[in-house]
Amino acid sequence: MNALAARGIAKSFGGRKALDGVTFAIDYGELVGLIGPNGSGKTTLLNILSGHLVPDAGEILLDGKPMHGMTPVRAAHSGILRMFQLTRVFRRMSALDNLVTAGCALGLEFGAAQARARELVEELRLEHVATLDAGNLSGGQQKLLEFGCCFMVPPKIALLDEPFAAVHPTMKEIMAEFIRRRHAAGQTVLVVSHDMPVIVELCRSAICMNAGVVLAAGETREVLANHQVIEAYLGGEAA
Amino acid sequence: MTRSSQQRLRDELVASLALMAAVAAVPLAVTNDYWLGVLIVSMYFVFLAGGWNLLAGYAGQFSLAPATFAMLGAYGTGLLAYHWQVPAWASIPAGILAAALIGMTLGRIVMRLRGPYLALTTLSFAEIMRIVIGNSYDFTRGDLGLSVPALTNNRLVWYYVFVATVVLMQLALYALLRSRAGLYLMAIRDDEIGAASRGINTAFWKTAAFTLSTALAGLAGVLYAHFSSLVSPELGLILQTGLVICMVFIGGIASLVGPVFGAFLVYLASEALREAGGVQLIVFALLVILIARFFREGLWGLARRLLERPAP
Amino acid sequence: MPGQRVLNIDLFVNGLIMGSFYALMAIGLTLIFGLLRIVNFAHGEFYMIGAYAYTLAALKLGLSVWLGLPVAFAVGGIVGWLTERTLMRPLYAGYASWGLMKDEYAVVVTFALSLLLINLVDKVIGPYAVRGPGLVDIPRIALGPVMLTGHKLIATIVAFAMIIATALFIRYSLWGRQIRAVAQNRLGASLAGIDATKTSSIIFTLSGALAALSGALLAPIINTTPDVGSFPAIKSYVIVVLGGMGSIPGSIVASLLLGVLESFGAVYISYDYRDAFGLAILILVLLLRPQGLFGEKGREV
Repeated sequence: MNALAARGIAKSFGGRKALDGVTFAIDYGELVGLIGPNGSGKTTLLNILSGHLVPDAGEILLDGKPMHGMTPVRAAHSGILRMFQLTRVFRRMSALDNLVTAGCALGLEFGAAQARARELVEELRLEHVATLDAGNLSGGQQKLLEFGCCFMVPPKIALLDEPFAAVHPTMKEIMAEFIRRRHAAGQTVLVVSHDMPVIVELCRSAICMNAGVVLAAGETREVLANHQVIEAYLGGEAA
Repeated sequence: MTRSSQQRLRDELVASLALMAAVAAVPLAVTNDYWLGVLIVSMYFVFLAGGWNLLAGYAGQFSLAPATFAMLGAYGTGLLAYHWQVPAWASIPAGILAAALIGMTLGRIVMRLRGPYLALTTLSFAEIMRIVIGNSYDFTRGDLGLSVPALTNNRLVWYYVFVATVVLMQLALYALLRSRAGLYLMAIRDDEIGAASRGINTAFWKTAAFTLSTALAGLAGVLYAHFSSLVSPELGLILQTGLVICMVFIGGIASLVGPVFGAFLVYLASEALREAGGVQLIVFALLVILIARFFREGLWGLARRLLERPAP
Repeated sequence: MPGQRVLNIDLFVNGLIMGSFYALMAIGLTLIFGLLRIVNFAHGEFYMIGAYAYTLAALKLGLSVWLGLPVAFAVGGIVGWLTERTLMRPLYAGYASWGLMKDEYAVVVTFALSLLLINLVDKVIGPYAVRGPGLVDIPRIALGPVMLTGHKLIATIVAFAMIIATALFIRYSLWGRQIRAVAQNRLGASLAGIDATKTSSIIFTLSGALAALSGALLAPIINTTPDVGSFPAIKSYVIVVLGGMGSIPGSIVASLLLGVLESFGAVYISYDYRDAFGLAILILVLLLRPQGLFGEKGREV
């Protein structure tokens, strides 16, 4: 039994196939990188996993049980939490309130949520901006904050969409460290990233997509050595 | 909610209660029935502004129908009394309930819509309701207006009924906003997709905010109906909704005290300027545009910045 | 029954005539919606300003009524242009850091602008109704079984001519093509060197001018008061929604349809509720397409 699995997921937008039968599985406690050139369908896949899009075909299994009629709210309550590439923090609420809201929404008591929020603020080194409106935080700080929101209640699986894109190296290191620590504690994570060195360093296993299908999955180094993967990246660059 | 935002909310509650205390003291100095009446009507608008601020300022849903629900509440109690001689103790809650139920039904439907679509749908609903009530002469007496039993002619009694009800509304809004419900509404306002992704049931909370806001408008309507003993479709004019929006923006949107302050300021100013030749709406509309364009937080935001500056 | 048939033809023709004025109103609103995805709640006031400009140019300045039309067109255009210059800029420049969200800002600002213009005119010109002189002084022209005043006939011809001219302008002119490019993809168009701000400026000017012209053409038929714009505005909202939110041909068809529907509905269903039909349809359309007719569910993530 896997933590999260997808079987034959397909999705088209106006006749163009964005996903064409995607199948993969993620084990409990795994930290998996999802890679692939631009337009390969990574974000569409993530949108389906988090309930933001309804697939045309295929099914998603969480804890081995198929999930039907997924909505973002239901996904969150079943333990699939999502971080967006373009951050979606609550701009006119303080950073702490952002965290408390995320905790309460998943059933934490008020007091517990506040205590947990303070812990995370410290761990993410956001103490000095904790009472500022989230909209006034820098882009990197907003990403850290959204990160924290995903881990207020440890999810069954965290879906992280390009967490390292356009982030200051210091913050990148805070994030990578955060992920490593959670992973060591048994957290299951799926990371989408363009940043190949980070994926290689962070994730033992990886899934590579191209043109809406999974090209290769397995140990990261083997996936990257796969000639189809190399071709996809070179082809992508040439185009 | 964290301490700093709780503190801010408490400051706003205290400021609004202080304002209401001052209002409660006015009859000691002013015994003129006309001006007491003006203050009572201002408090009618306090309910509308408070309800609209909950929906627009905290939950981010810009409905264009607050005045319509006051009209519905007023006609609810008025029609029960007129056609079936229902006593006020029953028709008043029934009127509020009617406004809230219609609000909940409409809310459930329109809360799937966003931004301009929500504004258009509520505006259309407002116009349809006004046309229907204005043209159903047999049932509502149309534009002639409907007379409603005046429970008492003592202005002072009405005055303190309104003051007490406003205070109750402020306390209730405070309790609501400092609970998790307040956090959810603000999260939905700031980013609906983000809120749903964190597990907040956005449809439920938006409908709840819509229902509460229409219940407050209904409350305003029933009180006004029995106070003035006459209701007419003019209560639901789009202009009335325009006034409510002016009050909230000028006073300060998304604060507990702003709408209360704005309602008194705008209504008193428009009464005082009436003899000066009716320039008040020009000024208010201009102020709203300037505030929306340059300074979202209105007069309360301005006051808070001035107060906070001395602290290091 | 021949009388019945004559009545029906009469209703149909009069419906089409009203529809042509609606279309003139709605095209501008449609263009703005298509480009910026906002509803201009002050659109009715452009109409009102046109009606006053025409009437006052003729009655106070003694201008020829034929000059009154271009005057109204120009005044409406200027008001539209000013609206864009002063109020719409935050919508495209960095509104992400803006306190209000884009949609809410647009609702509040245009709603307040409507309030401002109504009361400004009320104060400056006065609340009493004025009526403009007709374009020609022919009380009756028979078009087959349908009787029309000379003014109505000419106004309708002018309206249709302007609708066709506008549609051709959007379709074939360089500016028109730029407008369509920006409506489809604002970022892409600006990368291709199209000045998106200038196109917004053009459509607001055009939108104000067309609505004002519509007001001018109707000034001799409907009494002009400061709040005369509210009903034509509401009709335009209905049309924009019915016509597919941003589609010009769609909005023209929807305008004619609404004109005919109201014309028949007023006689066969209820005269008192004639203004409610379109609104009821608007609510239905919005509800059956919850995201709005152009909403793309889920792709905004």
